[in-house]
Amino acid sequence: MHRSLLIGVILLLAVVVLVLGLFWEPDKTISPEIAQKPQGGDFTLQSSTGPVHLKEFRGKVVVLFFGYTMCPDVCPTSMGQLSLVLNDLPEEELAQVQGLFISVDPERDTLERLQTYGQYFHSRIQGVTGTLEQVAAVAKMYGAAFRKSEQQNGEGYSMDHTADLYLIDRDGSLHSSVRHGAPSSELLQLLRQLLSRD
Amino acid sequence: MKLKNYFAMFLMGLMFGAQAVAGTAADAVSVNDPYVRAMPPGQPTSAGFMGITNNSKQDLVLKDAEGSVAKKVELHTHTMKDGMMSMHKVDKIDLPAGKMVMLKPGGLHVMLMGLKQDLKPGDNVSLTLVFSDGSKKQLEVPVRKIQMMMKKQDAKQHNKHMHH
Repeated sequence: MHRSLLIGVILLLAVVVLVLGLFWEPDKTISPEIAQKPQGGDFTLQSSTGPVHLKEFRGKVVVLFFGYTMCPDVCPTSMGQLSLVLNDLPEEELAQVQGLFISVDPERDTLERLQTYGQYFHSRIQGVTGTLEQVAAVAKMYGAAFRKSEQQNGEGYSMDHTADLYLIDRDGSLHSSVRHGAPSSELLQLLRQLLSRD
Repeated sequence: MKLKNYFAMFLMGLMFGAQAVAGTAADAVSVNDPYVRAMPPGQPTSAGFMGITNNSKQDLVLKDAEGSVAKKVELHTHTMKDGMMSMHKVDKIDLPAGKMVMLKPGGLHVMLMGLKQDLKPGDNVSLTLVFSDGSKKQLEVPVRKIQMMMKKQDAKQHNKHMHH
């Protein structure tokens, strides 16, 4: 009695395993790693001197950063690093690089303020933004994320945001990203690599 | 309330009396290479960084920071939350005996909110560290561009590699 039950269970399990083995194909396209791999892409945002289309920069290497001007530490660190690296490039190479600081805080960052902010760090860095929806759409394309911080303080809110630098090649394709806090040499090397391609 | 005040005064008296022997936290701590980050004109926020070494044999606690340069001065840190850099206030910074704690970009920092003046490289800002025993350490902190600090760091790393 017991034995036949056991055999029955074993047989049932064997069938389940067999069926799973034969028919279960995990759908690779929805594994999170692959689904989230950012593709990049064209966008249009606003600057103090008018609309900025990523398309305008074909033939140049573009470095993207998502931040906000009231950011006390992370953004100035990344922009400082970018300017340091840009200053290491010879003039003719520098002319082929465009930095874009995309504000994730359009509520407070005016276009004039963004202009001043970008220029403060380097003449090749332009500050741009759009509506929250537009910025969110661009962020999504590049695998960036941001939100208003839950922690409020007397001097207003801060923003949580990803802090990678995104490198876009001369053809407008997203090439790579450099994580926040990586040594400047890593960014310089990648820039050089992209600049050496024609 | 009154009793508490007397007690505090008594404690203060004790501390001053014992200063030659034990010293306050402020006396036991040395600050290495402090700087406040220069920001574009009109920016309302910035941050201060430094190395804080506890030279005593007892663990100490940094409770607060003060300064007249901004409306609000607080101890803050960054944490990674859902892949995003998130900044928040901390109630204290532990200073283990004999160790140096770094306040540095991307981590712990003295947060300056509501700046009352533009921070230009070459300026000096007065900041005060407040320890859990109530003692205070006043610092004259230079304003620097982050790029200068990075160059320094790169050079340091370079030197390290040279030695190996």
